[in-house]
Amino acid sequence: MQLFFQDLVNGILAGGILAVAALGFSLVWGILNIINLAHGTFIMLGAYLTWQLFTSAHLDPFLSVPIDFAVLFAFGYALQRGVINQVVRAPILATFLLTFGLSLLLVNLALIVWTGDTRAVSPAYSGANFTLWTVTVPWTRLATLAAALLITALMQLWLLRSKLGRAVRAMAMDVGAAQLSGVRVAHVYAVTFGLGAGLAGAAGGLLSLSYSLNPSMGEPFLIKSFVVCVLGGLGSVEGALAGGLVYGIVESFASQLDVTVLGQHLSGSGLQDVIALIVLLVVLIARPTGILGRATA
Amino acid sequence: MFTTIRLLLVAAATLSLVGGTTALPAAADDTIVFGSAVSLTGSLAKEGKLTQEGYDFWKDYVNAHGGIKAGKKTYKVEIKYYDDESKPADAAQLAERLIDQDHVNFILGPYGSGTAFTVAQMVERKKIPMVEGNGAAEKIFNQGFRYTFAVLSPARRYLEGVLDLALHQKPRPQTLAISAASDAFSLEVQAGAADYAQAHGIKVVYDNKYPETATDVSSVISAIKAANPDLILNAGHLQDALLVQKGLKEQNVQAKLYGYSVGPDTPDFTAALGKDANYVFGGAQWSESVKYRADRPGFYRTAPEYAKAFEAAYHHRPDYHNAESTATCLAFEYAIQNAGTLDPEKVRDALAALDVTTFYGLLKFDSRGLNVYKPMVTNQIQNGKLVTVWPAGLAAAKPQYPTPPWAQR
Amino acid sequence: MTRLRGLGLGGITGNPQAFVASLAVMALLLAVPALRNGYVELTFRNILMFAAMSYGWNLLGGYTGYVSFGNVVFFGIGAYCSAVLSAHHVDSLWADVPLALACCALFAIVAGVPILRLRGHYFGIATLGIALAVADLANNLDALGGSGGLALKQLPQDQFSVYYYAMWSVALACMLGTFAIARSKLGYALVAIRENEDAAQVLGVWPTRYKVAAYALGAMMTGAAGAVYAPANGFIDPSIAFAVDDNVFPIVMSILGGMGTASGPFIGALLLAGLNEVLQSQFVKIHSLFFGAIIVLVVLFLPRGIMYLIGLRGGLRRYLHDRAAYRV
Repeated sequence: MQLFFQDLVNGILAGGILAVAALGFSLVWGILNIINLAHGTFIMLGAYLTWQLFTSAHLDPFLSVPIDFAVLFAFGYALQRGVINQVVRAPILATFLLTFGLSLLLVNLALIVWTGDTRAVSPAYSGANFTLWTVTVPWTRLATLAAALLITALMQLWLLRSKLGRAVRAMAMDVGAAQLSGVRVAHVYAVTFGLGAGLAGAAGGLLSLSYSLNPSMGEPFLIKSFVVCVLGGLGSVEGALAGGLVYGIVESFASQLDVTVLGQHLSGSGLQDVIALIVLLVVLIARPTGILGRATA
Repeated sequence: MFTTIRLLLVAAATLSLVGGTTALPAAADDTIVFGSAVSLTGSLAKEGKLTQEGYDFWKDYVNAHGGIKAGKKTYKVEIKYYDDESKPADAAQLAERLIDQDHVNFILGPYGSGTAFTVAQMVERKKIPMVEGNGAAEKIFNQGFRYTFAVLSPARRYLEGVLDLALHQKPRPQTLAISAASDAFSLEVQAGAADYAQAHGIKVVYDNKYPETATDVSSVISAIKAANPDLILNAGHLQDALLVQKGLKEQNVQAKLYGYSVGPDTPDFTAALGKDANYVFGGAQWSESVKYRADRPGFYRTAPEYAKAFEAAYHHRPDYHNAESTATCLAFEYAIQNAGTLDPEKVRDALAALDVTTFYGLLKFDSRGLNVYKPMVTNQIQNGKLVTVWPAGLAAAKPQYPTPPWAQR
Repeated sequence: MTRLRGLGLGGITGNPQAFVASLAVMALLLAVPALRNGYVELTFRNILMFAAMSYGWNLLGGYTGYVSFGNVVFFGIGAYCSAVLSAHHVDSLWADVPLALACCALFAIVAGVPILRLRGHYFGIATLGIALAVADLANNLDALGGSGGLALKQLPQDQFSVYYYAMWSVALACMLGTFAIARSKLGYALVAIRENEDAAQVLGVWPTRYKVAAYALGAMMTGAAGAVYAPANGFIDPSIAFAVDDNVFPIVMSILGGMGTASGPFIGALLLAGLNEVLQSQFVKIHSLFFGAIIVLVVLFLPRGIMYLIGLRGGLRRYLHDRAAYRV
């Protein structure tokens, strides 16, 4: 029984982080209809930025998260404005491949700058935990979840209240009409992509506390972001949150699976990805708009 | 009409580019050329670099001290590298290039068991000897290959030393949990350790695996915690070693011993974990404090001498990847000297018959080409420093056992 | 030119001269084993392999407009077919290839029917998901060797060129097969689906059966390449059989050579694999970096492929005008 509750808590904690990681991806996909295969790389860059600030300037990781956001936002904005905007109206294959190529470039640049050495961010308080009714809760993960929720709340507020936020949502509904209403499309496209990158960077900063860093660390998060988005529905903050939590919990419990089928030993922890992808496929086929999604026009 | 001509030109250009790419001039007559495909980029870039350093360190020494004597002639040494980007298929292709295009004499092995396997198959076809020091999966050596030799102890033995150490402590540990990453090497380590434990009366209460690229091992940790083992071992790589050790602290999992197949021996482990790295054991092919003395002069004869010279050249202490790579080259050097010629067949036979102690340990191969004669050493991180604690004859310090609870450190 | 058109080349199969030139190059490639250089033979064998895989992708991606981002799964299935047969002491390409064709076609039909209902992005993700799931499954199944993989028995050195000729045959079959399919009723149906699926349906072209057919045929092409690759390489594990590179390169090659043509994949494979070769030997350390850059450059500046560039009338101005249509 203890194992059940421990897994549940682990799942929620992991899911919260996943939600933030997937949020940027979801926004870019839902609003710009761009699948950013470099999303994992942005997460990686945010994590390395936090690590660099922690190592060189002894800046606490939580404090570096806003910096990660700002830097990656600027980077994403420039990228969209300068490069991706060139092929936004081309068939989707173009953006798929473009972002893939960018991802390859960035990972290799990171490899040159920071080398392939595995790094970790370990402030003095890492590993500290408290126990609640036989369930051990690590402080850093709890704080990370809190930060994640805060970021999602801020994002939602901005989208609903600010002028630029409304312009973004307008573009998601109808680009032509938005343009007629005075929205500068190229600029708003870039802002949205920048937001996606910034959120990825912030997520990376938060993740650096719980996971170890290396230039290829982003790829698993890209795949999980896919699943979270499809699960929860595209383009919405609630969707990313719901999808992330559901996925985190499912993965946590599925990892305890331990069966033998036809003489073949199958362990859930070894089949983590298969389970994730089966969930993805089932949702795609049965309910492509996801748990909280709306049917797209 | 023009288009056809343009097209044929493009095609011809490409074909000639590909076909004639770097047909290098054959090496000078007084040079032995070794070829090596190592992972300079990709996920194994770090280990690949360590491998290259190990090779180059030996090459520089040899060239500065007159070269290798084979028969009546003395040869200089050259090593040609290609980057296999941590991809096994590329490694074999590049190794074939080294043989067919660059006309190397011998092959120095890559890093990683998957890559070593594909290259081993290829050199078997071409009948060119290869010695490697960085691919310990036994599968490579159960194929009946004659041209591949490995200087390192096989994968299954990696954690035997740690278990041996534990078995000699009082009270005797009863239970073992061992997790592993899903790659061939780590699974062999896990299987070897589990079998060894069971054969010596320790019950294995957990032995699952997780994906190589796992980002979250919380459920593995919580399952281990629920099993409440005396000993916790992990077979994986640096990345997951860090994740697991962090996770064990985060979920407050107490055990008498924590041991890893890969991780503690790399300085990154201690640098990343700080205090939390103390008391951790690791199985290693070699450490600076092993007490070997080489049979033959002509290279550093003891581990400390090697370490000092290596640090002077590369500005970091050598770890066992460096040492085993250097040992790989030494095996070739001695085999060439014994054979008295560069003829591949004779050098191969000389390698099969090799029996010499070096700063790295005994270099001797069984009929499969594996070095089953060299024991693994067990290191422990004590106060931030890595010390050899087992076997007793090679140890520099006593092991610290049992590990104190997290709260009392 | 008109003579070629008179022969039936051109139109739906793409630039006729390109196709003839491709066939000529294929004939030249028969001479490679005579050079007696194992490395050169290996390099061209890989080019032919990528050509076959590009054709496999091109049938569904180029002609039908359904972008599959997980075609490598068929390569892996084909490779494992050969590996499993070898583990049971059957080491003949005459057994490997047919088994691979059957398994891939079956898998494509079973998977294709549900996922080909999805449009656009969703289809691509579904294919990616399938590829990743199968790769992970292979990692976990002991019967397939798990993550340790399976070794295959290889032909001795003096017969090794058999693998080269086999791959050449597969590539030729793909090239001629694409040509034949394009000019058949299936081909025209696929293009109709690509241009406007709903309109096609209204006009009596039932999309599902044609899409699944294209998917299955493309799968067979890719699978055959995998089946020949496995014994030639001598070793298969999930990371080799389902490599990300093998997934993306065929797509980029098809684009570079010209999507939706019968010669594009071959030209793209030739150019890109050749370039890869040069980079790998000359720029040892930053080879991967270059490749990412090349993908980006191809997408940005040559989204219609190199054939477009060669056949372009109107020079720079026309080129810029065309590009502006994609921009925002």
